[in-house]
Amino acid sequence: MALVSGPGRAGGSSLEQELHTSKHVAYIKNLNTRKEELEYWLTEHLRLNGVYWGLTALHLLGSPDALPRDETIDFVLSCQKENGGFGAAPGHDAHMLYTVSAVQILVMIDAVDELDKRGLGGKQKVGSFIASLQNREDGSFMGDEWGETDTRFLYGAFNALSLLGLMDLVDVPKAVAYVQSCENLDGAYGLFPGAESHSGQVFTCIGALSIAGRLDLVNKDRLGAWLSERQIDKGGFNGRPEKLPDSCYTWWVGSSLAMIDRLHWIDGKKLAGFVLQCQDPEGGGLADRPGNMVDVYHTHFGIAGLSLLGVDGLQEIDPVYCLPKSVIARALGK
Amino acid sequence: MASHGVRRFKPVEKTPEERQQELQKIEDYRSLEHLVSDKVAEHDYSSDTLTKISELLNRNPEYYTIWNYRRQVMRHHFSEAADTANEDTIQPILSLIKNDLMFLIPLLRSFPKCYWIWNYRMWLLDEARRMLPLPEAHQIWQEEFALVGKMLTLDSRNFHGWGYRRVVVETLKQLGSLDEATGITQKEFEYAKKMIGANLSNFSAWHYRTKLIQRLLDEQSATDNERRKMLDDELSLIHQALIDPYDQSVWFYHQNLLCVFDPTVADRTMAPNLSTSERLQYLRQEIDNVQEILDGAEDCKYIYQALIECTVLVSKVTGHLSPEDRDQILSWLSELKQLDSLREQRWLDFERTL
Repeated sequence: MALVSGPGRAGGSSLEQELHTSKHVAYIKNLNTRKEELEYWLTEHLRLNGVYWGLTALHLLGSPDALPRDETIDFVLSCQKENGGFGAAPGHDAHMLYTVSAVQILVMIDAVDELDKRGLGGKQKVGSFIASLQNREDGSFMGDEWGETDTRFLYGAFNALSLLGLMDLVDVPKAVAYVQSCENLDGAYGLFPGAESHSGQVFTCIGALSIAGRLDLVNKDRLGAWLSERQIDKGGFNGRPEKLPDSCYTWWVGSSLAMIDRLHWIDGKKLAGFVLQCQDPEGGGLADRPGNMVDVYHTHFGIAGLSLLGVDGLQEIDPVYCLPKSVIARALGK
Repeated sequence: MASHGVRRFKPVEKTPEERQQELQKIEDYRSLEHLVSDKVAEHDYSSDTLTKISELLNRNPEYYTIWNYRRQVMRHHFSEAADTANEDTIQPILSLIKNDLMFLIPLLRSFPKCYWIWNYRMWLLDEARRMLPLPEAHQIWQEEFALVGKMLTLDSRNFHGWGYRRVVVETLKQLGSLDEATGITQKEFEYAKKMIGANLSNFSAWHYRTKLIQRLLDEQSATDNERRKMLDDELSLIHQALIDPYDQSVWFYHQNLLCVFDPTVADRTMAPNLSTSERLQYLRQEIDNVQEILDGAEDCKYIYQALIECTVLVSKVTGHLSPEDRDQILSWLSELKQLDSLREQRWLDFERTL
């Protein structure tokens, strides 16, 4: 199963205000049938992420059953390694990024019990893999045994472990302190202590603090100000000061604002207008900017952003987990 | 996958020959992939396997599992070299590392935003540090420094580039003497200055400057007077930079500087021990300075934001907001609501707190 590769184009006239739901559903479903394109094989290292992106978008678009459930479960389980973690595709090494996608997919289709039925060692083993990547000295998390450290992995660990009900496997207070050490004077967060603030990293840090129930540590007005300045005149968000806008930041910036109750600090209408212009009205899918090539990553995060903004015809998304609210309600009893 | 900044094009129907060519490319790629996986599965860590791994990574540097294979093969070669080497001949390990570092250069040039290449390079340099005597390890990291400079010249906002530079600098400090360490911080300070001079919009360089100033002052065990001197220099620098008041990066640096006067965060800044009266004096002076910038740039929202920020800080320092200051803020705010309609609700929320 692969939903990663495949070209397409964002048409996007400036008057585009309509969501092309059925085109997007068709675009995502069609991604799995491109085995005669080299790109399909060159993107194998993203398969499991791709399934998560595509499937979440399909849920938001109201077509949760567009991909066969059994085939999805089979594919996810085929990516699991002996150590309990998941690789991007069968035969690929286990890594935090794909393990989180695997858990998110299984939660989305209500199939976590399959880990105990058919997986290697049940959900406990998945949790142990994730917990083994925590640096017990400073609370941070690595992506895999080779040691790359990044707040993305810390958020991923919290996301997956909380969905599995296994947060007690890690040192939460230490991880929270690590996130705090990544905060800059502008109220936003970087990749590691001392690194420049970046919207993607803000999402991971605020998401982690939210899961830990420690949003009280955030300077919400200061961070909200920095995040709201990400909106530029055309309506779209950039990721850092003086950079170009990109539809995926609709999610990273928008969800962070939502988590600190400041989403109304930006012009949602103009933002939605920018994202809608990133659509390919004929072939479906969304691009980073109007007129550019579409891909499933921007399709997912663009649609997730639109859902956050309450655009008609989309299921509601949870800003912390980047999964449909109905899924989080079922999984966490919220 | 995530195609950034690629203009759309009309997909053209492929001719049968083109289709055949693509299928051939897929077959070549997949057979190379299988060959590599099979060899690693058989623990064949020969030079031949390494060559095939290089070939595969050149075709697809995002394939993280193959980078892991490369680490396994390199570790094998390292331990073989260590078995043959004695104290005087570290040459085999050194040349293994140098060759591998060279292999990565064209890849980094072509894919400067690929996480996996940077990760691998970092791992390799850590291996150098682990296995080589100090002078050789130091030398290798020193050479790395030149590369980082080149990468940032090519793309002065590259996130990986700046993060990597920081790691290289930190490691060089650890490998060198204490004097060298302070010298490095000073040089980095000059570097950040140069990058800002080249492009005032480069917030990455401004951010680095913020961090370096504190590092520099701490390493020199600077007195409060020396710290205040640094603050004065920075304020006069930022006033020069604000000749173009429409640049957001410069204003964010200005906001960073203002944190010095905020009693709640001052301890995280370059001059943590200013007295209340000093803070107030600076802030009043700053309000005057910023108001001067307003002349001729009345449509620049950042100026009003800075004026409000300074005035709110005055109230934080004194513990109350005077009626005159409140009126001032309200008049700036009404300008701001007009100029910055995207964030109107933010300003309305703020208004309610006054």
